[in-house]
Amino acid sequence: MDSIIRARDIQREFGDIRVLEGLDLDVRPGEFLAIVGRSGAGKSTLLAILGTHDLDHGGRLEISGRDTALLSPPELAALRREYLGFVFQDFHLLPELTALENVILPAVFSGRDLGTARTQAAEVLSRLSIRADETPTTLLSRGERQRVAMARGLANGPSVLMADEPSASLDAESEQTLFNLLDDLRREQGFALIAVIHSRAVLERADRVLELRDGILHEVD
Amino acid sequence: MKWTETRTALHLWNRGHWRDYVFSQGMLFVASLLLVFFIAIGLGVQNLLDRFLSTDLPAEQVRVTPSGVQAGFFQTESGGVEITEEARNELESSLLVQRIDPQIYARVPAYLKGLLGGQPYYTDITLEGVTGQFLGDSLLKDIDWSYTLADSADRFLPIILSENLLLLYNAGFAEPNDLIGLTPEGVLGIECTVTLGMSSIAEMDRPPITVRARIEATSRNMNLFAIGVPFEFVDQVNSMYIPDGTRRYSALVVTAKRAEDVPEIVRLVEEMGLRAETRRGIAQKAEILVGSVTAALSALAGAILLSALSSAIHTLVMDLRNRRFALGVLMALGTPHNRLAMIFAFQILFMSALTMILGAALGCLLAWGASSALLSLSSVLRVSVDSLAVFPIGWLAAGTGFMLLISTGIAYVFFGRILRTPVTRLLRP
Repeated sequence: MDSIIRARDIQREFGDIRVLEGLDLDVRPGEFLAIVGRSGAGKSTLLAILGTHDLDHGGRLEISGRDTALLSPPELAALRREYLGFVFQDFHLLPELTALENVILPAVFSGRDLGTARTQAAEVLSRLSIRADETPTTLLSRGERQRVAMARGLANGPSVLMADEPSASLDAESEQTLFNLLDDLRREQGFALIAVIHSRAVLERADRVLELRDGILHEVD
Repeated sequence: MKWTETRTALHLWNRGHWRDYVFSQGMLFVASLLLVFFIAIGLGVQNLLDRFLSTDLPAEQVRVTPSGVQAGFFQTESGGVEITEEARNELESSLLVQRIDPQIYARVPAYLKGLLGGQPYYTDITLEGVTGQFLGDSLLKDIDWSYTLADSADRFLPIILSENLLLLYNAGFAEPNDLIGLTPEGVLGIECTVTLGMSSIAEMDRPPITVRARIEATSRNMNLFAIGVPFEFVDQVNSMYIPDGTRRYSALVVTAKRAEDVPEIVRLVEEMGLRAETRRGIAQKAEILVGSVTAALSALAGAILLSALSSAIHTLVMDLRNRRFALGVLMALGTPHNRLAMIFAFQILFMSALTMILGAALGCLLAWGASSALLSLSSVLRVSVDSLAVFPIGWLAAGTGFMLLISTGIAYVFFGRILRTPVTRLLRP
């Protein structure tokens, strides 16, 4: 099967520090790819590049067969909207909005039908055990906000969901519940999951585990 | 994008930021209000000054006056050069002079009595004899300007009133005494009596004479306390009360053959030790004063425009800067650029334009209100100008439009930079 993401010779420097040293990666549709590595290895940087949020990199990145270097900002936005979902390490929710509003935000701004978006968002939130009430996300716990961010990443029905340490704030039971749900959704919707993971229990669920070390990815058995 | 989605998008986008947004729009509102208010009032003040300082002296005329201080019957001569018959003849003999219209003070005390708004009115006056050409042919063409005491039985003495005297009456007498203010047009046709040979402070040996008079015209070129009447009438009165007196003119209005000869005539007059006033000279004096006021008002308007502009730019740019993170989140989620542009267009362009138009409208309204209030308080202003606020729609629209264009233009450039900024940088704390 063709790769949904194809990265070749990806390099990234911050001043004199080379974080990624010519990394290659192929992501197949529907697979769960776990990325591990020590702190500061460049895992978040890699996700930002794959998510087309960071464009200052070397090498070639193709998403759904399209070279991201050749795309204009509006085309990149369209690519993100159609193919990618993103869960940030710090969630990046808009604090003034409720959980439901944060989740429907991409749909609202994409001109999708509001009723449908609202129904779908309420359903995903419900499956993630978040109440779709009027509570601003600032009043939610860290774990709840993490799940809201997850729901928002899934809102546009992405082909690839990228999550930067999605279970970092969860206890073991909540973590298992979250990944059970993600597995279900992945089976239903067929999206690939690329997640930066630390939990050994979650790593066992992954189709592939890649360790980012010395700026390149190493397959872990 | 349907209206419901658009409304929801704007509602969500502004949640928690309404106060900042309203404040920033309020700044724009006040900025455009102040700009328009000061332009309107500034131009109005300029008009008022123009009105006070203008002259109806034709370009080819020179008004010659004695070098001493004089005020008709209340004359305080200080030994300056007077306009004698010889001086008149000397000027008349110049090849550059086409005509001389003399003016002469009545050297007898006089007072004027009449009714103004039903109230009896009395004032000591000085009569100044002028020729029919004084106001120009067009203004006095319907008035029989010849008058002697022999006509007093069946004709009114025609009077030209000084507009400056009207201003003085309005400001110094009418207001404190709750009398009606007078406009130059409003006094035309008013009838009164003029008594010669007597006033509140002086009386001649010879019995006073009273004649019926009617105000036929007003002029900005009359001396303050003088009432213009036909020249021969004053000449006759002077001869009657002071038979051995020498004729001295209060002024000579010299008409040059060509307007370009005026400077040469001025030189001639000044060589004779007399004073010369020309339209150009008066205009130059007025220009200096009005120019100074205009420069001050322009500087004020410029400062307001600059501060309003920088305030508007700062407000709009800060509004965007404060939402960089939120824009970054939306961009990271793949929000189409045209939707983000829609936010910009609505929030910045449309609302700012609306705010500025409303501010400008209120500025006009306030200027109009301030003008009306000032005019209702002062009849001096009321008789001088119709309004203290001027609304040159083109200039006001240009000022407001310029402010909107520059501020939103810079905001748009800033917005464009945000859209081109990598998402990771926008999301950086």
